[in-house]
Amino acid sequence: MIELLQLSNSALFVYYVLSNLFYLALLITAFVATARHRHRLMSLRLETLELSPFTPPISILIAAHNEAATIVENVAAVQALDYPSLEIIVINDGSTDDTLPLLRSSCQLRPASLLYVPQVASAPVRAIYTSAADERLIVLDKIGAGTKADAINAGLNAATSPFVCVIDADSILEKDALLRLMAEVFSDPLGVVAVGGIIRVLNGSAVSQGRVSEIRLSGRALEVLQVIEYLRAFLIGREGWGNVDMLPLISGAFGIFRRDIVLAVGGYRAAAIGEDIDLVVRMHRWLMERRQGYRISFVPEPTCWTMVPSSLKDLGKQRARWQRGLLDVLWQNRDMLFRRPYGRVGWVMLPYLWVFELAAPVVETIGYCTILLAAVLGVLSQAFLVQFAIFGYAFATLISIGAVVQEEVTLRRYGHWTEVARLLLYCFAEHFPYRQMNMLWRLRGMWQHFRGGVMWEQAERKRFGAEVKA
Amino acid sequence: MVSAFEALSQAAPAEILLKAILVCVAGISVLLSFIVLRRWLRARYFARRDRQIVYTRQHWEELISAPPAWRFQPLAGEVMETLLLDSIEVSQGEELARLVECLRGSGLLDKRIREARSRKRWRRRQALVMLGRTRAVEAIPALTDALEAGDMETRIAAVRGMGKLALPEAAAPMLLLFCQERLSVPWTVLKNALWACCSSRPQVLLPHLRAAAGLPRELLARVLAEVADAGMGDELLALVSDRSAEIRAAAARALARVDPQLALPPLSQLAGDGEWFVRLRAVISLGFLGIGEAVPILIRCLGDRNRQVRQRAAWGLMRSAKDMPDILRRVVEAGDNYGVQVMVAELERCARFAPLLDQMRQSGGSQAGRLISSLLQARAKLGLDPELARPQYASAP
Repeated sequence: MIELLQLSNSALFVYYVLSNLFYLALLITAFVATARHRHRLMSLRLETLELSPFTPPISILIAAHNEAATIVENVAAVQALDYPSLEIIVINDGSTDDTLPLLRSSCQLRPASLLYVPQVASAPVRAIYTSAADERLIVLDKIGAGTKADAINAGLNAATSPFVCVIDADSILEKDALLRLMAEVFSDPLGVVAVGGIIRVLNGSAVSQGRVSEIRLSGRALEVLQVIEYLRAFLIGREGWGNVDMLPLISGAFGIFRRDIVLAVGGYRAAAIGEDIDLVVRMHRWLMERRQGYRISFVPEPTCWTMVPSSLKDLGKQRARWQRGLLDVLWQNRDMLFRRPYGRVGWVMLPYLWVFELAAPVVETIGYCTILLAAVLGVLSQAFLVQFAIFGYAFATLISIGAVVQEEVTLRRYGHWTEVARLLLYCFAEHFPYRQMNMLWRLRGMWQHFRGGVMWEQAERKRFGAEVKA
Repeated sequence: MVSAFEALSQAAPAEILLKAILVCVAGISVLLSFIVLRRWLRARYFARRDRQIVYTRQHWEELISAPPAWRFQPLAGEVMETLLLDSIEVSQGEELARLVECLRGSGLLDKRIREARSRKRWRRRQALVMLGRTRAVEAIPALTDALEAGDMETRIAAVRGMGKLALPEAAAPMLLLFCQERLSVPWTVLKNALWACCSSRPQVLLPHLRAAAGLPRELLARVLAEVADAGMGDELLALVSDRSAEIRAAAARALARVDPQLALPPLSQLAGDGEWFVRLRAVISLGFLGIGEAVPILIRCLGDRNRQVRQRAAWGLMRSAKDMPDILRRVVEAGDNYGVQVMVAELERCARFAPLLDQMRQSGGSQAGRLISSLLQARAKLGLDPELARPQYASAP
């Protein structure tokens, strides 16, 4: 028993050290990448892209399933974007609320029998609407298939532009977000096949006429903790991985893809739970198998504001779904592991996701149990355990503060001192019990995956800018 | 067996862990100090800058006319330069000349030229783009030097700077180096710069287009397609029969800008090209011409084997046709179901299908009845499953 405990503790120790080294490497890489990116921005003039006849058109795909609370402002925000040539496709995915009636009245929709050629599989489209107020807008009313992937596939079939931008219906893009993302494509038009921007937490901010009019930190602890998580995930994780050409994910809430490549890989996998990571991994696979030089990039300043769950129940559902999605994707693509054609993706990125993302909640749970047991049985020095816990706490705090520093250097959206102070305070407070709850939600996601039969569980939607009472 | 925790604990826990904790705490302190210090410095700087901007705007006329005392004050010089460059971007004619003269007289232009030549990395790139914003012809040599810089980012900044100059003289060095394969930058960046520089004098492109070969020639043709003017018809006609499909497509695009009577025959030829994207460009240009003579060609293109060409032909017909029922009759008589469908879809997109049917019903006659029946049949086959079309969505809101 004691031998087993000590073996387990040794393995956990190695795991912990390796995962922290990875994080440290990502933090340093992200700092370097951000500095480089800021210098590159100095020669960029967005108005050149806006006026240029060579700026390619983009189809924006918005999948909406029961999004009555946010859809009107979301579409208004997209219509107001600074971009010379847009096609806006809203896919009403079997909504049972007022999503479609609201769109019909606010956008003056009228039914139209447009040509719709299914190039990738999706549930049937019942009706197509065009807008009398904005000829760029098309609304597809399709039968709900239970996944966002299926809805986006219908949008892909209707899209006509060489690039598609996929956004969530509960999010708002900043006016120059598309231009900033496309600037990355312009820097390497043949190489960049997909590019993602940053997702930021909208809860607490004020929205008027489809624009974020005042950026504020939410008053609720749960939402502020998610702000830190998002900053860490995007400004350290994505920035770091993107800088070494191993970006595993472009968020489903905001990303631009080359449409021909998306169609070539068969569109979104309708059964995928994490449709965004699934698509990116399949793009990596497809391009690497064909030995095509390509880049899947992350750009830190194009911003998409999104509503995050404000209750533990909804957050738990979301995190469980993310974990299910990750497990599903990694399992589907397990043949890419340690195989030569998949290069850095097969040798570094996917193993990292397996070991340090997917397995993390399992390892962490085992770790808590065995270390405590060992301490109780007296085979582990309690003083050492306390010191080690302090180190773990300090290191995790350092990484979170690093994410806030990145925010300060790149975007600096929280202008007021008190908001930054609160953000920093939460960097110290997020390790207990939020982290442990996250671990349990992720474990539940894995359990649900193995048990099967769990469909899309949508979180309760709130209107943009609606203040949440604690 | 001893666990790694235990081993470490026995080795020297106080030393190793304590050091690790101290390093983390020091790291946290450094990051926190960085945030506080940066915020404080920025707040101070922007407060001073705002005051200076207000002062500069209030005394703008005096400042650009008088001897440049502000040049020797760092913040005043910086604000003045920013405002001058912003004004230059939106100025024309005499006002532009006056502002550029102010830049020259103040020595700011010389300073930027010196920086663009002597500085390294991002500072050089910043100076190059600033130089471009001056719209002064003296900036061209310094920007030209940077076109062959060792790193890509500097070359891109130089090309962007040239584009910001928007002077035909700035196009010459880029074209020369590009045709000699000595300018390596992303082509979209180069196309934007050439487009900006050649817009006022597209003829600058012609000698290089004639001399170039392969992909560079295609790029130049694409730029020409965007800047060509009405007087370039003959040059464009020479490109219509080019061996490169990209160049034929560029010619088709450019022909939309010349005299419609001159453009119609070559566009008719290109609308029957072997490459789909050449036909597509020709059909779009025919649509832009918007003349009745283009209608027979566009009706023919409704039966094209490429869907996008068919869609654009229908779009072109909507722009060109005066008598839509007659057009629809001719389309139906042509006997091509795809053509009828795409025409109906375009009418639907423009919300003209229902009014047109009403108009045809009112005109009456058995011929109109047959036509309406054909159109409704085509509408039913547009790809949506009629079984799924709900009755409540069938009527217009």
